[in-house]
Amino acid sequence: MSLPDHLQSTFSPEEIQFIVENEPIKIFPRITTRQPARSGAKGGSPPIRCTLITTDDASINQLVATRSSEVALWLALLLKQQNKCSIIAPQWLTLQALDRSIQFEKTHPDRFSAMPWNWLVLAQLLFKRAPDDFHDPVHDLRSKVQDLREIRQLKVLKGLRHLNESHLQLDNLSLLEVNELRPFVLDTMDRLREIHSAANQDTIQPAPADQHGYPEPL
Amino acid sequence: MGYYELEDVLADGSEVPCKFQYSMPGLGYLAGNAGKPIEKNSKLLLPLWLARVLAIVGGSEGEEIADDEEAMPFVELSRPEMFSAKVVNAIKAGAASLDLHSVNSHFYMLAIKWIALFGDAELGSVIAEMVMERSLELNGHASSVGVSAVESQASQAGSPFLLTLDESEKETYRRAHDSYRRTKRWMLEK
Repeated sequence: MSLPDHLQSTFSPEEIQFIVENEPIKIFPRITTRQPARSGAKGGSPPIRCTLITTDDASINQLVATRSSEVALWLALLLKQQNKCSIIAPQWLTLQALDRSIQFEKTHPDRFSAMPWNWLVLAQLLFKRAPDDFHDPVHDLRSKVQDLREIRQLKVLKGLRHLNESHLQLDNLSLLEVNELRPFVLDTMDRLREIHSAANQDTIQPAPADQHGYPEPL
Repeated sequence: MGYYELEDVLADGSEVPCKFQYSMPGLGYLAGNAGKPIEKNSKLLLPLWLARVLAIVGGSEGEEIADDEEAMPFVELSRPEMFSAKVVNAIKAGAASLDLHSVNSHFYMLAIKWIALFGDAELGSVIAEMVMERSLELNGHASSVGVSAVESQASQAGSPFLLTLDESEKETYRRAHDSYRRTKRWMLEK
């Protein structure tokens, strides 16, 4: 078909990255693009303005060096590549906040901590493209993120025991984590649903509640 | 299960034991001797696509009275080997260690058809539990991913468990393994 087989029912990790790159992020510009009010009427070359149609272009035309500002992540990464800004890491991407999340994960075995939906992708991107912009040492942050990922993977594995034919609740599971589970979980739940509906298609009395009842909360 | 789905077509081709409830002139080629009639009560194996229809429609012509609503269907399906008590007991004993591929390579698809045909809720619950147990095992194998060529070779060779998967489980395994591998590759290189 026109869409490749492996993309027909899910996203590739690169597409997830693309989605995440659309989010706003704070930067410290190292260039000034704001035009001083006085120079507007004077001659010389006209200032070059960015005109963007998918994101707000007011902020990129109003940059003042070292005054923090918010732009789309893809733009921040492009500027960072040319050394024209440094990226401010989000609040949750500090040793302290990550430690708190890990603590939460350990004390609550039945739920995921409230990480943002893009935490894994954003952390990977910033570690790779802006490793010099963190206050904490990057290798420590990296290992904390890895710890968090492993704890959550363990919980996912535990949660898969509760797959059923009706539904599943996965609060606070991030997009990349959902995306890698999607084929397996959907296939398995689909099969359970097919068996369930085949067995119960023409029975008038409701299905026995003890067998096919509601799932235990994850 | 779609009309054009190859696995579904293949699954429909597997044979189930049937008993004819009428004598059928001219249909002897089903039993291998063309030109002869099929005797009443003769037992033979028919592909599921044929047996399913013959087990539903009945012969109202002939000796049957026309206004008889519950006409006896042409054939009576008997329980195939793969849903026999022996197999069900093996499933209950340990679904993850069962060699499903040798029981039938389209086990789940046929099970769903069979359950739908007979409303067999008991078999349904046994198989639903089996799906769960085997899926967890399958996920374990699918998520152990090697990224480099050497590693992935090692994990491809796999354990004997992968040889026991039925066709739809193989599809699930392939998709799940692919997904885990793509994600891991993205995390590591990019």
